[in-house]
Amino acid sequence: MASQADLEQLIAQVALQDRAAFRALFSATSAKLFGVCLRVLNDRAEAEDALQEIYVKVWHRAARYSVTGHSPMTWLITVARNHAIDRLRARKGRVETLDPEMPLADPAPGPEARAVAAGEAARIAACLEELEDTRAAAVRGAYFEGASYADLAARFEVPLNTMRTWLRRSLLSLKDCLSR
Amino acid sequence: MSDRPDISPDDSGLAAEYVLGLLPEAEARALRTRLEAEPVLRAEVLGWEKRFAAMAEAEVDPVPPPSAVEAQVLARLFRADETRRRMGIRRWLAGLAVAGFAALAVLIYTGGPERGIAPDFAARIAAEDETLVLAATLDVETGRLAVLREAGAVAAGRAQELWLIAGEATPVSLGVLSTDAETEVIVPQALRPLFAGAVLAVSDEPPTGSPTGAPTGDVLAFGTVSEI
Repeated sequence: MASQADLEQLIAQVALQDRAAFRALFSATSAKLFGVCLRVLNDRAEAEDALQEIYVKVWHRAARYSVTGHSPMTWLITVARNHAIDRLRARKGRVETLDPEMPLADPAPGPEARAVAAGEAARIAACLEELEDTRAAAVRGAYFEGASYADLAARFEVPLNTMRTWLRRSLLSLKDCLSR
Repeated sequence: MSDRPDISPDDSGLAAEYVLGLLPEAEARALRTRLEAEPVLRAEVLGWEKRFAAMAEAEVDPVPPPSAVEAQVLARLFRADETRRRMGIRRWLAGLAVAGFAALAVLIYTGGPERGIAPDFAARIAAEDETLVLAATLDVETGRLAVLREAGAVAAGRAQELWLIAGEATPVSLGVLSTDAETEVIVPQALRPLFAGAVLAVSDEPPTGSPTGAPTGDVLAFGTVSEI
Protein backbone atom coordinates (compact mmCIF):
# COMPACT_ATOMS: atom_id res chain seq x y z
CA MET A 1 0.00 0.00 0.00
CA ALA A 2 1.38 3.36 -1.02
CA SER A 3 1.95 5.86 1.77
CA GLN A 4 -0.01 9.04 2.07
CA ALA A 5 2.97 11.05 0.87
CA ASP A 6 3.31 8.77 -2.18
CA LEU A 7 -0.33 9.26 -3.05
CA GLU A 8 -0.07 13.02 -2.64
CA GLN A 9 2.89 13.00 -4.98
CA LEU A 10 1.01 10.87 -7.52
CA ILE A 11 -2.02 13.14 -7.49
CA ALA A 12 0.23 16.17 -7.96
CA GLN A 13 1.77 14.49 -11.01
CA VAL A 14 -1.64 13.48 -12.36
CA ALA A 15 -2.60 17.15 -12.13
CA LEU A 16 0.26 17.74 -14.58
CA GLN A 17 -1.21 15.11 -16.92
CA ASP A 18 1.36 12.46 -16.05
CA ARG A 19 -0.11 9.21 -17.37
CA ALA A 20 2.36 6.91 -15.65
CA ALA A 21 1.46 8.54 -12.33
CA PHE A 22 -2.21 8.05 -13.15
CA ARG A 23 -1.69 4.33 -13.70
CA ALA A 24 0.26 4.07 -10.46
CA LEU A 25 -2.51 5.92 -8.63
CA PHE A 26 -5.07 3.58 -10.16
CA SER A 27 -3.20 0.49 -9.10
CA ALA A 28 -2.65 1.81 -5.57
CA THR A 29 -6.22 2.95 -4.92
CA SER A 30 -8.69 1.25 -7.25
CA ALA A 31 -9.35 -1.77 -5.01
CA LYS A 32 -10.57 0.48 -2.21
CA LEU A 33 -12.68 2.60 -4.52
CA PHE A 34 -14.10 -0.48 -6.24
CA GLY A 35 -15.03 -1.75 -2.77
CA VAL A 36 -16.88 1.51 -2.16
CA CYS A 37 -18.68 1.23 -5.53
CA LEU A 38 -19.72 -2.35 -4.79
CA ARG A 39 -20.93 -1.43 -1.33
CA VAL A 40 -23.05 1.44 -2.65
CA LEU A 41 -24.30 -0.06 -5.91
CA ASN A 42 -24.44 -3.72 -4.95
CA ASP A 43 -24.07 -4.69 -8.59
CA ARG A 44 -20.77 -5.71 -10.15
CA ALA A 45 -21.31 -4.49 -13.69
CA GLU A 46 -22.59 -1.16 -12.50
CA ALA A 47 -19.75 -0.81 -10.01
CA GLU A 48 -17.26 -1.38 -12.85
CA ASP A 49 -18.87 1.35 -14.94
CA ALA A 50 -18.92 3.68 -11.96
CA LEU A 51 -15.26 2.99 -11.23
CA GLN A 52 -14.33 3.95 -14.79
CA GLU A 53 -16.22 7.19 -14.54
CA ILE A 54 -14.69 7.94 -11.16
CA TYR A 55 -11.14 7.66 -12.47
CA VAL A 56 -12.03 9.81 -15.47
CA LYS A 57 -13.14 12.42 -12.92
CA VAL A 58 -9.98 11.92 -10.88
CA TRP A 59 -7.88 12.61 -13.97
CA HIS A 60 -9.78 15.81 -14.71
CA ARG A 61 -10.02 17.03 -11.15
CA ALA A 62 -6.57 16.20 -9.82
CA ALA A 63 -5.50 19.80 -10.18
CA ARG A 64 -8.19 20.82 -7.73
CA TYR A 65 -7.33 18.18 -5.16
CA SER A 66 -4.92 20.30 -3.16
CA VAL A 67 -7.46 23.02 -2.37
CA THR A 68 -9.72 20.56 -0.58
CA GLY A 69 -7.19 20.07 2.20
CA HIS A 70 -8.16 16.41 2.29
CA SER A 71 -5.90 13.42 2.58
CA PRO A 72 -5.64 11.55 -0.73
CA MET A 73 -7.87 8.68 0.41
CA THR A 74 -10.49 11.03 1.86
CA TRP A 75 -10.63 12.87 -1.43
CA LEU A 76 -10.75 9.73 -3.56
CA ILE A 77 -13.35 8.03 -1.37
CA THR A 78 -15.51 11.17 -1.38
CA VAL A 79 -15.39 11.40 -5.18
CA ALA A 80 -16.17 7.68 -5.44
CA ARG A 81 -18.98 7.60 -2.91
CA ASN A 82 -20.71 10.68 -4.35
CA HIS A 83 -20.46 9.38 -7.88
CA ALA A 84 -21.77 5.95 -6.92
CA ILE A 85 -24.66 7.49 -4.96
CA ASP A 86 -25.52 9.71 -7.94
CA ARG A 87 -25.71 6.58 -10.10
CA LEU A 88 -27.81 4.80 -7.54
CA ARG A 89 -30.23 7.71 -7.38
CA ALA A 90 -30.39 7.98 -11.15
CA ARG A 91 -31.34 4.30 -11.16
CA LYS A 92 -34.16 5.12 -8.78
CA GLY A 93 -35.21 8.07 -10.89
CA ARG A 94 -34.06 10.77 -8.52
CA VAL A 95 -32.31 13.58 -10.24
CA GLU A 96 -30.48 15.77 -7.75
CA THR A 97 -26.73 15.48 -7.93
CA LEU A 98 -24.38 15.13 -5.01
CA ASP A 99 -21.44 16.08 -7.00
CA PRO A 100 -21.68 19.74 -7.80
CA GLU A 101 -18.43 21.48 -8.54
CA MET A 102 -18.41 23.49 -5.39
CA PRO A 103 -15.78 25.92 -4.31
CA LEU A 104 -14.05 24.43 -1.33
CA ALA A 105 -10.74 26.19 -1.04
CA ASP A 106 -10.04 26.03 2.63
CA PRO A 107 -6.86 27.01 4.36
CA ALA A 108 -7.83 25.40 7.66
CA PRO A 109 -6.77 21.74 7.67
CA GLY A 110 -3.05 21.67 7.06
CA PRO A 111 -0.55 18.84 6.78
CA GLU A 112 -1.12 17.88 10.41
CA ALA A 113 -4.80 17.35 9.84
CA ARG A 114 -3.98 15.20 6.84
CA ALA A 115 -1.63 13.10 8.90
CA VAL A 116 -4.40 12.27 11.37
CA ALA A 117 -6.49 10.63 8.67
CA ALA A 118 -5.16 7.09 9.06
CA GLY A 119 -5.83 6.96 12.79
CA GLU A 120 -9.28 8.36 12.20
CA ALA A 121 -10.50 5.19 10.52
CA ALA A 122 -9.77 3.16 13.62
CA ARG A 123 -11.33 5.77 15.85
CA ILE A 124 -14.53 6.08 13.88
CA ALA A 125 -15.00 2.34 14.01
CA ALA A 126 -14.83 2.56 17.81
CA CYS A 127 -17.17 5.55 17.89
CA LEU A 128 -19.75 3.80 15.70
CA GLU A 129 -19.66 0.99 18.25
CA GLU A 130 -20.72 3.48 20.90
CA LEU A 131 -23.89 4.32 18.99
CA GLU A 132 -26.95 2.15 19.37
CA ASP A 133 -27.07 -0.41 16.58
CA THR A 134 -30.07 1.10 14.83
CA ARG A 135 -28.53 4.56 14.92
CA ALA A 136 -25.27 3.40 13.48
CA ALA A 137 -27.30 1.58 10.84
CA ALA A 138 -29.07 4.83 9.95
CA VAL A 139 -25.74 6.64 9.54
CA ARG A 140 -24.46 3.83 7.31
CA GLY A 141 -27.74 3.79 5.37
CA ALA A 142 -27.44 7.50 4.62
CA TYR A 143 -23.79 7.29 3.62
CA PHE A 144 -23.51 3.97 1.83
CA GLU A 145 -27.00 3.61 0.42
CA GLY A 146 -27.87 7.24 -0.14
CA ALA A 147 -31.03 6.70 1.89
CA SER A 148 -33.22 9.78 2.24
CA TYR A 149 -34.92 10.79 5.47
CA ALA A 150 -38.12 9.33 4.06
CA ASP A 151 -36.36 6.02 3.31
CA LEU A 152 -34.87 5.93 6.80
CA ALA A 153 -38.13 6.89 8.50
CA ALA A 154 -39.87 4.03 6.70
CA ARG A 155 -37.10 1.60 7.48
CA PHE A 156 -37.01 2.37 11.21
CA GLU A 157 -40.74 3.00 11.43
CA VAL A 158 -40.56 6.46 12.96
CA PRO A 159 -42.03 9.78 11.80
CA LEU A 160 -39.87 11.79 9.43
CA ASN A 161 -39.12 14.57 11.88
CA THR A 162 -38.18 12.11 14.56
CA MET A 163 -35.85 10.47 12.07
CA ARG A 164 -34.17 13.77 11.36
CA THR A 165 -33.70 14.59 15.05
CA TRP A 166 -32.42 11.09 15.64
CA LEU A 167 -29.88 11.07 12.86
CA ARG A 168 -28.61 14.53 13.67
CA ARG A 169 -28.08 13.53 17.29
CA SER A 170 -26.28 10.40 16.23
CA LEU A 171 -24.03 12.39 13.94
CA LEU A 172 -23.21 14.93 16.62
CA SER A 173 -22.38 12.19 19.14
CA LEU A 174 -20.17 10.65 16.52
CA LYS A 175 -18.40 13.94 16.07
CA ASP A 176 -18.05 14.41 19.83
CA CYS A 177 -16.66 10.94 20.21
CA LEU A 178 -14.11 11.56 17.48
CA SER A 179 -12.93 14.78 19.06
CA ARG A 180 -12.38 13.23 22.50
CA MET B 1 -8.91 18.91 13.71
CA SER B 2 -12.56 19.36 13.09
CA ASP B 3 -13.85 19.95 16.60
CA ARG B 4 -14.35 23.61 16.05
CA PRO B 5 -15.84 25.52 18.94
CA ASP B 6 -17.05 28.16 16.52
CA ILE B 7 -19.63 26.07 14.69
CA SER B 8 -23.08 25.57 16.19
CA PRO B 9 -24.50 22.05 16.49
CA ASP B 10 -27.24 23.11 14.08
CA ASP B 11 -24.79 24.17 11.41
CA SER B 12 -22.67 21.10 11.96
CA GLY B 13 -25.75 18.92 11.52
CA LEU B 14 -26.67 20.83 8.40
CA ALA B 15 -23.17 20.36 6.99
CA ALA B 16 -23.40 16.62 7.68
CA GLU B 17 -26.79 16.40 6.00
CA TYR B 18 -25.40 18.27 3.03
CA VAL B 19 -22.52 15.84 2.67
CA LEU B 20 -24.85 12.87 2.97
CA GLY B 21 -27.21 14.33 0.38
CA LEU B 22 -30.12 14.43 2.81
CA LEU B 23 -31.11 18.03 2.19
CA PRO B 24 -33.94 18.81 -0.18
CA GLU B 25 -32.66 20.59 -3.29
CA ALA B 26 -33.75 24.07 -2.15
CA GLU B 27 -31.97 23.70 1.19
CA ALA B 28 -28.89 22.25 -0.46
CA ARG B 29 -28.77 25.24 -2.78
CA ALA B 30 -29.14 27.64 0.13
CA LEU B 31 -26.30 25.89 1.91
CA ARG B 32 -24.08 26.09 -1.17
CA THR B 33 -24.63 29.84 -1.21
CA ARG B 34 -23.63 30.06 2.45
CA LEU B 35 -20.51 28.00 1.77
CA GLU B 36 -19.19 30.67 -0.54
CA ALA B 37 -19.17 33.19 2.29
CA GLU B 38 -18.57 31.09 5.40
CA PRO B 39 -15.19 29.42 5.77
CA VAL B 40 -16.18 27.85 9.07
CA LEU B 41 -19.11 26.09 7.45
CA ARG B 42 -16.89 25.04 4.54
CA ALA B 43 -14.43 23.55 6.96
CA GLU B 44 -17.27 21.65 8.62
CA VAL B 45 -18.38 20.20 5.27
CA LEU B 46 -14.80 19.04 4.74
CA GLY B 47 -14.74 17.73 8.30
CA TRP B 48 -17.79 15.57 7.62
CA GLU B 49 -16.43 14.34 4.31
CA LYS B 50 -13.38 13.28 6.22
CA ARG B 51 -15.29 11.54 9.02
CA PHE B 52 -17.47 9.62 6.58
CA ALA B 53 -14.52 8.71 4.38
CA ALA B 54 -12.85 7.37 7.52
CA MET B 55 -15.94 5.22 8.05
CA ALA B 56 -15.53 3.87 4.51
CA GLU B 57 -11.82 3.25 5.18
CA ALA B 58 -12.74 1.29 8.27
CA GLU B 59 -15.69 -0.66 6.93
CA VAL B 60 -15.19 -1.26 3.23
CA ASP B 61 -12.97 -4.12 2.15
CA PRO B 62 -10.83 -3.46 -0.90
CA VAL B 63 -11.79 -5.52 -3.95
CA PRO B 64 -9.40 -5.49 -6.91
CA PRO B 65 -11.37 -4.52 -10.03
CA PRO B 66 -11.04 -6.67 -13.19
CA SER B 67 -8.07 -5.50 -15.25
CA ALA B 68 -10.36 -4.53 -18.12
CA VAL B 69 -11.55 -1.56 -16.08
CA GLU B 70 -8.12 0.08 -16.09
CA ALA B 71 -7.79 -0.53 -19.82
CA GLN B 72 -11.18 1.02 -20.40
CA VAL B 73 -10.33 4.08 -18.34
CA LEU B 74 -7.08 4.56 -20.21
CA ALA B 75 -8.79 4.09 -23.55
CA ARG B 76 -11.45 6.55 -22.62
CA LEU B 77 -8.98 9.19 -21.53
CA PHE B 78 -6.14 8.74 -23.95
CA ARG B 79 -6.74 6.56 -26.96
CA ALA B 80 -8.59 8.89 -29.29
CA ASP B 81 -5.96 11.54 -28.67
CA GLU B 82 -3.00 9.37 -29.21
CA THR B 83 -4.20 7.66 -32.34
CA ARG B 84 -4.95 10.95 -33.97
CA ARG B 85 -1.61 12.40 -33.08
CA ARG B 86 0.36 9.40 -34.25
CA MET B 87 -1.06 8.71 -37.63
CA GLY B 88 -3.30 11.44 -38.79
CA ILE B 89 -6.94 10.72 -39.21
CA ARG B 90 -6.81 9.81 -42.89
CA ARG B 91 -4.36 6.95 -42.54
CA TRP B 92 -6.03 5.83 -39.39
CA LEU B 93 -9.37 5.48 -41.08
CA ALA B 94 -7.87 3.80 -44.12
CA GLY B 95 -6.00 1.37 -41.89
CA LEU B 96 -9.12 0.42 -40.05
CA ALA B 97 -11.11 0.14 -43.21
CA VAL B 98 -9.11 -2.75 -44.58
CA ALA B 99 -9.97 -4.77 -41.49
CA GLY B 100 -13.36 -5.57 -42.90
CA PHE B 101 -16.54 -4.36 -44.40
CA ALA B 102 -19.39 -3.05 -42.46
CA ALA B 103 -22.46 -2.60 -44.53
CA LEU B 104 -25.27 -1.30 -42.49
CA ALA B 105 -28.76 -0.50 -43.44
CA VAL B 106 -29.77 2.78 -41.96
CA LEU B 107 -32.86 4.68 -42.70
CA ILE B 108 -32.14 8.20 -43.80
CA TYR B 109 -34.47 11.04 -44.31
CA THR B 110 -34.00 14.76 -44.22
CA GLY B 111 -35.73 17.56 -42.44
CA GLY B 112 -38.10 16.82 -39.63
CA PRO B 113 -38.91 19.27 -36.90
CA GLU B 114 -37.10 19.29 -33.56
CA ARG B 115 -39.03 17.24 -31.10
CA GLY B 116 -37.41 18.77 -28.06
CA ILE B 117 -36.16 15.51 -26.60
CA ALA B 118 -32.85 15.89 -24.82
CA PRO B 119 -30.22 14.01 -26.82
CA ASP B 120 -27.70 11.88 -24.97
CA PHE B 121 -24.59 12.13 -27.09
CA ALA B 122 -23.18 14.98 -29.08
CA ALA B 123 -20.21 15.62 -31.31
CA ARG B 124 -18.82 18.57 -33.15
CA ILE B 125 -17.52 17.20 -36.42
CA ALA B 126 -15.15 19.69 -37.97
CA ALA B 127 -12.40 20.04 -40.54
CA GLU B 128 -9.07 21.30 -39.21
CA ASP B 129 -9.59 24.60 -41.02
CA GLU B 130 -13.28 24.75 -40.06
CA THR B 131 -14.42 24.86 -43.69
CA LEU B 132 -16.79 22.03 -42.83
CA VAL B 133 -18.51 21.98 -39.44
CA LEU B 134 -21.34 19.67 -38.41
CA ALA B 135 -23.10 19.32 -35.09
CA ALA B 136 -24.43 15.84 -34.35
CA THR B 137 -26.72 14.82 -31.51
CA LEU B 138 -27.99 11.35 -30.74
CA ASP B 139 -31.06 10.57 -28.68
CA VAL B 140 -30.21 7.14 -27.37
CA GLU B 141 -33.79 6.20 -26.60
CA THR B 142 -35.23 6.90 -30.03
CA GLY B 143 -32.00 6.40 -31.95
CA ARG B 144 -32.54 9.70 -33.72
CA LEU B 145 -29.24 11.15 -34.87
CA ALA B 146 -29.57 14.73 -36.05
CA VAL B 147 -26.69 16.21 -38.00
CA LEU B 148 -26.79 19.92 -38.51
CA ARG B 149 -24.59 21.53 -41.12
CA GLU B 150 -23.08 24.66 -39.59
CA ALA B 151 -20.45 25.39 -42.23
CA GLY B 152 -19.45 23.99 -45.61
CA ALA B 153 -21.36 22.27 -48.39
CA VAL B 154 -21.21 19.07 -50.38
CA ALA B 155 -18.99 19.37 -53.47
CA ALA B 156 -20.83 19.08 -56.81
CA GLY B 157 -21.02 15.48 -58.01
CA ARG B 158 -19.75 14.10 -54.70
CA ALA B 159 -21.27 12.88 -51.44
CA GLN B 160 -20.33 13.13 -47.78
CA GLU B 161 -20.65 9.94 -45.80
CA LEU B 162 -20.81 9.77 -42.01
CA TRP B 163 -18.92 7.09 -40.10
CA LEU B 164 -19.03 5.84 -36.54
CA ILE B 165 -15.66 4.67 -35.27
CA ALA B 166 -15.87 3.04 -31.85
CA GLY B 167 -12.42 2.42 -30.41
CA GLU B 168 -10.44 0.27 -32.78
CA ALA B 169 -13.45 -1.19 -34.52
CA THR B 170 -13.99 -0.92 -38.23
CA PRO B 171 -15.79 2.28 -39.23
CA VAL B 172 -19.51 1.74 -39.55
CA SER B 173 -21.42 3.81 -42.08
CA LEU B 174 -24.21 5.92 -40.68
CA GLY B 175 -25.25 6.98 -44.16
CA VAL B 176 -24.75 9.73 -46.68
CA LEU B 177 -25.38 13.26 -45.48
CA SER B 178 -28.10 15.30 -47.07
CA THR B 179 -27.01 18.37 -49.02
CA ASP B 180 -29.58 20.27 -46.94
CA ALA B 181 -28.87 21.87 -43.61
CA GLU B 182 -30.05 18.90 -41.63
CA THR B 183 -29.80 15.15 -41.97
CA GLU B 184 -31.67 12.81 -39.73
CA VAL B 185 -30.75 9.17 -39.30
CA ILE B 186 -32.26 6.50 -37.14
CA VAL B 187 -29.38 4.60 -35.59
CA PRO B 188 -30.10 0.90 -35.00
CA GLN B 189 -30.40 -0.09 -31.36
CA ALA B 190 -27.24 -2.20 -31.39
CA LEU B 191 -25.07 0.72 -32.48
CA ARG B 192 -26.29 3.29 -29.97
CA PRO B 193 -24.14 2.24 -27.00
CA LEU B 194 -21.04 2.41 -29.23
CA PHE B 195 -21.35 6.19 -29.41
CA ALA B 196 -19.82 6.64 -25.96
CA GLY B 197 -16.33 8.02 -26.54
CA ALA B 198 -16.41 7.12 -30.23
CA VAL B 199 -15.29 9.27 -33.15
CA LEU B 200 -17.63 10.48 -35.88
CA ALA B 201 -15.97 11.18 -39.20
CA VAL B 202 -17.11 12.41 -42.58
CA SER B 203 -15.45 11.15 -45.74
CA ASP B 204 -15.64 12.31 -49.36
CA GLU B 205 -17.35 9.64 -51.49
CA PRO B 206 -18.92 9.08 -54.90
CA PRO B 207 -22.51 10.40 -55.22
CA THR B 208 -24.13 7.19 -53.99
CA GLY B 209 -21.77 6.74 -51.09
CA SER B 210 -18.84 4.42 -50.56
CA PRO B 211 -19.02 1.47 -52.96
CA THR B 212 -17.04 -0.77 -50.61
CA GLY B 213 -18.74 -0.25 -47.28
CA ALA B 214 -15.59 1.37 -45.94
CA PRO B 215 -14.38 4.95 -46.34
CA THR B 216 -12.69 5.39 -49.73
CA GLY B 217 -12.12 9.15 -50.07
CA ASP B 218 -10.51 11.88 -48.00
CA VAL B 219 -11.58 12.39 -44.43
CA LEU B 220 -13.12 15.82 -44.49
CA ALA B 221 -13.98 16.27 -40.83
CA PHE B 222 -14.09 14.39 -37.56
CA GLY B 223 -14.93 14.83 -33.91
CA THR B 224 -15.14 12.92 -30.64
CA VAL B 225 -18.51 12.04 -29.20
CA SER B 226 -19.19 13.21 -25.67
CA GLU B 227 -22.03 12.45 -23.32
CA ILE B 228 -24.41 15.27 -22.65
